[in-house]
Amino acid sequence: MLEKIQELVAEGLGVNASEVVETANFKEDLGADSLDLFELVMSLEEEFGVEIPTEDLENIATVGDVIKYIEAHK
Amino acid sequence: MQTEITKLLGIEYPIVQGGMAWVAEYHLAAAVSEAGGLGLIGSGGAPAEWVREQVREAKKLTDKPFGVNVMLMNPESDKIAQVLAEEGVKVVTTGAGSPEKYIKMWKDAGMKVIPVVASVALAKRMERCGADAVVAEGCEAGGHIGENTTMVLVPQIVDAVNIPVIAAGGIADGRGVAAAFMLGAQAVQLGTHFVVSNECVVHDNYKKAIIKARDIDSRVTGRTIGHPVRALRNQMTNEYIKQENAGATVEELELLTLGGLRKAVVEGDVTTGSVMAGQIAGMVKEEMSCQELIQKLMREASELLGGKRFE
Repeated sequence: MLEKIQELVAEGLGVNASEVVETANFKEDLGADSLDLFELVMSLEEEFGVEIPTEDLENIATVGDVIKYIEAHK
Repeated sequence: MQTEITKLLGIEYPIVQGGMAWVAEYHLAAAVSEAGGLGLIGSGGAPAEWVREQVREAKKLTDKPFGVNVMLMNPESDKIAQVLAEEGVKVVTTGAGSPEKYIKMWKDAGMKVIPVVASVALAKRMERCGADAVVAEGCEAGGHIGENTTMVLVPQIVDAVNIPVIAAGGIADGRGVAAAFMLGAQAVQLGTHFVVSNECVVHDNYKKAIIKARDIDSRVTGRTIGHPVRALRNQMTNEYIKQENAGATVEELELLTLGGLRKAVVEGDVTTGSVMAGQIAGMVKEEMSCQELIQKLMREASELLGGKRFE
């Protein structure tokens, strides 16, 4: 799953896949703004068949948070 | 004059007045609704009880539908969302985020929910969450903005969703209205020109600054910290951009804008306050009543569209 997430994040944010490590913070390390995050969430939802409501989005800051969230909800 | 939006909202003309913080209070909202458009009260950063009072005052001035814009970064958003449902507000628009957690409560209260969006992904997400329409706002607009222009954003959102789209950003005359319709919009939202209307209570200096503005006079501050805001160029924007380029911290930059909009709107300090306005300020040359403005927009647009949409 990490590989797929790396691919989607790297593509969505225009960063190198090697930068998409579990500790990477979307806003601080990967340069995402709030519109980028919505874009990313939509593509992750589609790929993994989960729904991530905005309230939960507020608790997601790093790539690792996303992995944990998807594992818990799929 | 009917479009999907006029039918959805029960209004006469497909013209919405933007829910601008500090600027869009009940006098303006009621005047726009009385003139056949949709007036909005802007909650901005105001407390929930202020919003309740505004809604009650607007109801004394008009029986026609009006709405409230909720700025979702307002710490009292939860309370404001509740107040709108309690007070029977007909329409709510939202800015600065996603209103997902309130949509069910609002729909249960019979309200129409219209989020302002600046990207296709957010528009699709809002449709999925049950929004009745979206406002697609391009970065020509004043205040908090996104990245895409109206010309680029509107047709892509129109293609991506099945709910009606209201175009905003860069519209101040009938040519802009007609162009928005050509891009597939079912209504338009104007902010800047409604600031320069008789019924708008902003300080006269604010109106004069807009009337005086040329095409190149707006600036965007805060892009580097992820909060781009468009305002007319003055000492505040110059200082902000200087410090921003020098790598000032978010906290330092926020000090510069703290209370800036209030300072400009209420005190008329257009030198060190924040005179938020759209790029189209350069085309706003004359103050008129909301009714005159709406009639003018509709007359001009209808001539251009050859009476096809506007009988």
